[in-house]
Amino acid sequence: MTQPEPEYVLHLNDVEKQFGGTRALRRASLAVRPGTVHALLGGNGSGKSTSIKILAGVYTADGGELEIGGERHDLRRWTAQDAHGAGLRFVHQDLGLFEELSIAENFGLDTGFPTTAFGNIAWRRLNAEVADVLLEYDLDVSPQRAVAELRPSDRTMVAIARALRGSTDGERRILVLDEPTASLAAAESALLLDKIRRLADRGQTVVMVSHRLQEVLDVADDFTVFRDGKVVGTLVDAHPTEDELISLMAGGLVVALAPTGERTHTHGDPVLVVEHLESGPLRDVTMTAHAGEIVGIAGLQGSGRSSLLQALFGVHQPSAGSLTLEGRPFAPCDVHDAMAAGVGMVPENRVREAAFMDLTVSDNLAMAMLGEYFVGGRMPRKKEQAAASTLIDEFGVKVAGADALFSSMSGGNQQKVIIARWLQRHPRLLLLDEPTQGVDVMSRADIYETIRAAAREGCTVIVASSDMAELHALCDRVLILARGRLTGEVLAGQLNVDGLVSLVLREPATRRTVYEPETPSERTMAS
Amino acid sequence: MTTSTSPTTDTVVIAKRPSSVTAFFEKYTLIIITLAVIAFFVFYPGTSHQFMTVSSLNTILTNMLCALMVALAAMFPFVAGYMDFSVGATAAITTVFAARLMDQTEHGFGWPVWLAVLIPVVCSPIIGLANGFFVTKMRMNPFVTTLGMSLLLYGISMLWTGGQRLSAPTGSFIVKLSTSKFLGLPITVYIVLIIALIVWYILTHTPYGRSLYGMGSSTASARLVGIRVDRNLWLGFVIASLLASLAGVLQLSQVGSATASDGGSLLFKGITFIFLSATAITPGFFNVWGAVIAGILLSVSVTGLTFMGYAGWTTNVFNGIALIAAVALSTYLGRKKRQG
Repeated sequence: MTQPEPEYVLHLNDVEKQFGGTRALRRASLAVRPGTVHALLGGNGSGKSTSIKILAGVYTADGGELEIGGERHDLRRWTAQDAHGAGLRFVHQDLGLFEELSIAENFGLDTGFPTTAFGNIAWRRLNAEVADVLLEYDLDVSPQRAVAELRPSDRTMVAIARALRGSTDGERRILVLDEPTASLAAAESALLLDKIRRLADRGQTVVMVSHRLQEVLDVADDFTVFRDGKVVGTLVDAHPTEDELISLMAGGLVVALAPTGERTHTHGDPVLVVEHLESGPLRDVTMTAHAGEIVGIAGLQGSGRSSLLQALFGVHQPSAGSLTLEGRPFAPCDVHDAMAAGVGMVPENRVREAAFMDLTVSDNLAMAMLGEYFVGGRMPRKKEQAAASTLIDEFGVKVAGADALFSSMSGGNQQKVIIARWLQRHPRLLLLDEPTQGVDVMSRADIYETIRAAAREGCTVIVASSDMAELHALCDRVLILARGRLTGEVLAGQLNVDGLVSLVLREPATRRTVYEPETPSERTMAS
Repeated sequence: MTTSTSPTTDTVVIAKRPSSVTAFFEKYTLIIITLAVIAFFVFYPGTSHQFMTVSSLNTILTNMLCALMVALAAMFPFVAGYMDFSVGATAAITTVFAARLMDQTEHGFGWPVWLAVLIPVVCSPIIGLANGFFVTKMRMNPFVTTLGMSLLLYGISMLWTGGQRLSAPTGSFIVKLSTSKFLGLPITVYIVLIIALIVWYILTHTPYGRSLYGMGSSTASARLVGIRVDRNLWLGFVIASLLASLAGVLQLSQVGSATASDGGSLLFKGITFIFLSATAITPGFFNVWGAVIAGILLSVSVTGLTFMGYAGWTTNVFNGIALIAAVALSTYLGRKKRQG
């Protein structure tokens, strides 16, 4: 077996892993060729993340072999230190960067600061060293810039550069990326993937996990597809189509990801009329949405997509313009007002802005209905539970029960509950901000069907998304938003996904590279 | 458009819910410990003859009443995920203010007792309004803001007493309140239990209380499901200061006099009850009955230790250990919740 140049730099063989009574991995194998980008695909709970965590030494496998660079290791005694020593480098979805600190400081904190003879930090040397590294990774920024000021794709590249720092051609490193583009807008992820591709072309081996099939198709050489803990397909040096991959992941099932196409509802009664709206980055936005229509808002990050939805939901007060909902002037003071008028919104950041992670599914659903449930001076828990069970069945949520914790569900099921939370109120206007971000393909199909069903019953839906395939599949009409202005309108059937992408990209997003850092938590409690 | 998912490809949901045995113990451990401690003192030769009397039961219950009132007060901001360290000082300043108004010596004003009690209680929400203003409108850190408020109130109560001991007039209703009994127990016990019942009702059976638990879970999410976060929090601080002032009235009734005190011991006992409450009944969440049980447990333990002849310092050591253990346990349970 031991040859001077082994065929595979990384070879996982017959990996077994059991959690309680569930077999998370069954004889799973993974073979990675040197200098390639290898994509791991599969729905949530399919075993791809478990494999990565076993590689990283986070989980210990119950059985199986690992071969790295021709050296055999016992997976049952594989630790995080072993993984590091063998040249595996991981960049997780949470990049682990200190946002407020400079790039150089981030490098220093990771691998140690160079010091002078007196023991203080040799800043000049550090900056020079880091500048060299950045250049090597096509990053045209100063090492003294704060990470928070970088564009999102560059932040990921900084994390990658930091992880691979010090690797020379002599020693082989394997870079493992877990959902590197999950939180990036389309244009940003295109930039990032381009850089990852160039890394591979220079001989770097990359293993990446992603939900966004189209991106993976562009960048990966090899594919390993997981389903139910088993490897159901290995494609070496192949160029599969998206449909082929989906059918592998879904097990040959019909998936409702195809475009709605012919359906246009612009002939319905106008429900929402927005005139000359100005709010945050939005400039003179005028649009109309009709009953039963699904309107898409396409735009890059920073184009004002979320600001538009938030203005409609009363989160921010518009500085100018007027809103009309079902013929009546609509000026919500806060979210409560907007809800009373029949508006619902699924925010972009599920974990931070939609979920009550440590409460039950039933509580999460009831939280938007507290006033409605309060009858006869008390909160009827039994009724809430029953209503929650009905919703769980209706929306096909896979969960142990209405009193299971929200955090016990997978991302896709969490999102279904969040959408059910609003649909139980039978809203007139439903606002969805990136409704399937971080959601697996199967749940995505369910969510699309749910949205279409709501629209069929007359609900007006506005979907803001950076995923053009999503807008193309869902919407009757797509509005293009760039730099806070509406710059185009596309009807269903008029344009394909690539056309949409080029429309959005044609007007470059604001070249501002200063991104709003997340507002620090107001709460100081530890518990 | 068909969306069919056959059972074979369903995402496997790993049910990580605790078994019924662990769930039972998470819920009732605090009660079991309390019963065990009571049993220990009942059967321990050194304390058994003293312990099994009505008077010792009264001591145990009245010892914890003020701190329990403070705990009930602080429950509102705490459930919403915010600290309120000013409740102890609010109780203390109410005691001093009321005593000064009713004191019939040259140090006080000699006002009618009912008016002397009513005015501080009516004024107390000003403190909550101020806390709420700083925390919701000025976006100030609640921890430091209420700690500062606490210090400020302590200073004012020192100014008012002028170092004197102010007393409630003997024989007035405020003194009688804590000495009169119903069915062998002081009336004050019933009053506090009724207030606990009301607080429990508000927290678990009104949209307001439920929204506080939602805010405690995620403020951002709560805001985006239509909960008026700032208004609710502000109201929480106001209720907290009002209930804390009632704790102060209770304190005056039990002691019969007031000196400048920072209310620190009341505050820390109250917080211990709150954190211990998260280890019982609804594990991982602060709740009223958990706080009541925690109050009984700590009071029984301290009373028993006193009967055993341990000196005063043991009380502080014991309460300190209890607070740290309570925070540790509730943090552990909270973390377990979050991980599911």
